[in-house]
Amino acid sequence: MAIVGEKLVKQIRTTGLRATIAQRLDDGFTRFTAGLSWNDVRGILRGDPPPKPNPRVKPHTEGFWFHIRPSFYHEAVTTLYPTFRLGFLSAVFFMFEIITGIFLMIFYTPSPTYAYQNMIDILTNVPFGKFMRDLHRLGAEAMVIVVTLHMVRTFVTGSYKKPRQFTWFTGVVLLVITLFLSFSGYLLPWDQLAFWAVTIGTSMADAVPLIGPELNLLLRGAPDIGAGGLLRFYLLHVVLLPLLGVIFVAVHYYKVVRYGISLPPEMEPVGEDNARKVPPEKRVPFLPDILTNELMYMGVAFAIMALSVVTWYKGAPLEHHADPLVTPNHTVAPWYFYWLQGLLKVPHMIPFLPTPIAVEVDKFFANVLGLTPKVFWGVIVGPLMIGILFIIPYIDPNPSRRYGDRKVMLTLGALFAAAIIYLSFAGVPTGVPITGFGYVGGDPASEVGQEFIPDEGVGPVRALPYEDYVVGTWTVSAQPSTGNTNFDRLIRAIHDSMERRKAHPDPLGKKLSADASAVVEVKQVQENLRYIAIKINYTDETGRATQFLKSTYLHALSGYTQ
Amino acid sequence: MSIIKKIITFRPSFTVRILTGIISMLVMLSVCTYVAISDQTALNRRDTNFRARAIEVGAKVYAEQCARCHGLNGEGIEGLGPSLAAESFVGRRTLREEADGRVTYQQVMPSKRIQDIGWVGTLESYIIAVTEAGIPIRTSNVWDVNHPPFLDRHGGPLRPDQIRDVTAFIVNWSLNPLPDDQAVLPPKPGEGLAPRPTPVPLTEAQERGKQVYLQAGCMACHAIRGVGNQGAIGPSLNKIYTVAQERIASDDYKKNIKDQPPATTPEEYILQSIIYPNAYIVPQCPQGPCPAGVMPANYKDTITPEDLERLVDYLTTLR
Repeated sequence: MAIVGEKLVKQIRTTGLRATIAQRLDDGFTRFTAGLSWNDVRGILRGDPPPKPNPRVKPHTEGFWFHIRPSFYHEAVTTLYPTFRLGFLSAVFFMFEIITGIFLMIFYTPSPTYAYQNMIDILTNVPFGKFMRDLHRLGAEAMVIVVTLHMVRTFVTGSYKKPRQFTWFTGVVLLVITLFLSFSGYLLPWDQLAFWAVTIGTSMADAVPLIGPELNLLLRGAPDIGAGGLLRFYLLHVVLLPLLGVIFVAVHYYKVVRYGISLPPEMEPVGEDNARKVPPEKRVPFLPDILTNELMYMGVAFAIMALSVVTWYKGAPLEHHADPLVTPNHTVAPWYFYWLQGLLKVPHMIPFLPTPIAVEVDKFFANVLGLTPKVFWGVIVGPLMIGILFIIPYIDPNPSRRYGDRKVMLTLGALFAAAIIYLSFAGVPTGVPITGFGYVGGDPASEVGQEFIPDEGVGPVRALPYEDYVVGTWTVSAQPSTGNTNFDRLIRAIHDSMERRKAHPDPLGKKLSADASAVVEVKQVQENLRYIAIKINYTDETGRATQFLKSTYLHALSGYTQ
Repeated sequence: MSIIKKIITFRPSFTVRILTGIISMLVMLSVCTYVAISDQTALNRRDTNFRARAIEVGAKVYAEQCARCHGLNGEGIEGLGPSLAAESFVGRRTLREEADGRVTYQQVMPSKRIQDIGWVGTLESYIIAVTEAGIPIRTSNVWDVNHPPFLDRHGGPLRPDQIRDVTAFIVNWSLNPLPDDQAVLPPKPGEGLAPRPTPVPLTEAQERGKQVYLQAGCMACHAIRGVGNQGAIGPSLNKIYTVAQERIASDDYKKNIKDQPPATTPEEYILQSIIYPNAYIVPQCPQGPCPAGVMPANYKDTITPEDLERLVDYLTTLR
């Protein structure tokens, strides 16, 4: 103590108090930045050319965070093309999800008794709760898009080729982790959407040959999703998958730095990799150019997310409480798994065969291998499509990265993408436009009910404000006269929908019978609660007069349209 | 082509980078400020919305689970369940919009019922307690049924959140309660136990028919007041003779009966309903169109003709 004090006193005597304090502060600052003094940082921020010797490379050798990053990039990869910053943005969104996720974790209990009420509390009682939840949800979807685009870009520029095969491999692992992270988060709100999407998802695990039931039990913690399954998905979502994500991001990024970011294909001689041989005049220093560039992209990405949430984004959905006894109509997987749901709808082992032959082929497979089309397409072909991604760099014999030399591979890639998009359309209940493949629909009358009063979500009936309903029984016709124009418009829409279904058969060939008629019944249940029912009288396929009824309750303050 | 080239070789200058970064930060900060300022109102509004939606869900649960005994409009059913919409039960409240945008109940008149029985909690907690755990002992002999437990943990069909929602729905009647003289009310404690109606004596054959009713599985789905289990899947048989009389007189029955000749006496109708349950399906049940094929169609084979005759004989006493 005495010695330090002596030194300090001596310094104050020789240089004065102010200079000593300034110098000591600068020392601390330099230690914090691992080698940059205040003046160096000032120079960086002002865009000054680096002094000689260049102090700006010091943090890359002295400090932990900067030693992860290379000290310079090749000029050719600092433009928008070829990277589009997609890899960096993937990492940004991963971080973004961790930050917003930790906020949400504080208000969440992974138990079927509390989870749903926690969600309502986050929306109605936690300041910034809805904002954070929407950011987390929108960020997750953005992350799936960005990660997928990153993969597409890497494929198109041929950057998976030697020596980056393993980098690609870990990248596909990260894509799978991203999808599972998003999917495991789906269950946590414990609403109907969550429950049934995840029930469908895990039932695929059940269909895996040999180990299916065990795998299913491992995921769900019980034959059906309940308290055990929710806790398991929660732990997957907040512990195991993020941990695996961090590990694989580390490996992936180490490989990226180790081999450098691949140059645009046209800049390299065929079969060579020059990413690490950067001539001095082509070097763009990390400090300040790359860092400011990245901070800019990160800032823009965050600003877009925040702006989206308060403007066009409708908000993360929260439907009714999960109910294992009630399956809502038209349950779908998350959109990035539509393609898998589409695969499950392939009717035969070998499509495009004439039906009698296809049925015989199915019988053969079922008898000999115990394979049904659903298991084959959903559980074997689906995962194989991801599996193919893993081995692309190991099976592609072409050493050239140039677009002109890779016509076959690029065509195959485009076909793969087209297949995914086609299957994604098939995955939703409306099916593929024109071909109708994948269409799922019940009786036309029940489809009218589903269109206007969907089991989950809002739909036109709940979207019409309480005040616009007129109590009474109203016949559905082209010219309704209820005394309220908005209510008239709704009744006309029901009429139009019925007429459409009478005139045009759905892709399964079913039509609403020509004699079908309907009434809308509005009853006052309590002072601020109304019962609204659509009753459709029609003749069913067996020629019997039938009535279909779909109803809902509407409270004056439920605010579905706000 | 040159535009594409410009885009793909885009590399913002140092100044543009710093400026864009600063602007993005400012945008984010202003969004956060906007959320901070508007959040309290939005929270209150959503709170009101979610409470209203809970009442909607509760209304559905009520129609499915409670209306059977307490009446579709909470008016109560003599002998089964007291009125829940009655002013003496829910009291009277009004809605008030607070300055902060929340909508809350203002009590005008408290519930007399919970005062009478000496319940120390709120009306809500009373409804939740009774619905969840039921009333295990008989507090009066006016009602032939005790309140059953409805919570899943106690063996009932409802989850805690559904019971909260149905409670919100019942309490909402307090805005416009049913006048007590239009409602079926339970006796007050201290008024003593109301006398039970004297049962009509059954003949030996009818008594045997009652045993058939108890043993053939009918009560798993049907209910007869005071006799065995109170099934909830099929229609109640309390006044089945009267109902049968109305049915055979109705046009819908004569028009829509399938594969069987229409019955001409109530006895025939009851027998037909047991052995050919799908011959005629009543068009309108309390919760929408009645489904066909619910009742097993094999009683013709599992109950002997003699027993069937006695069963019908017994059921005709229910008028």
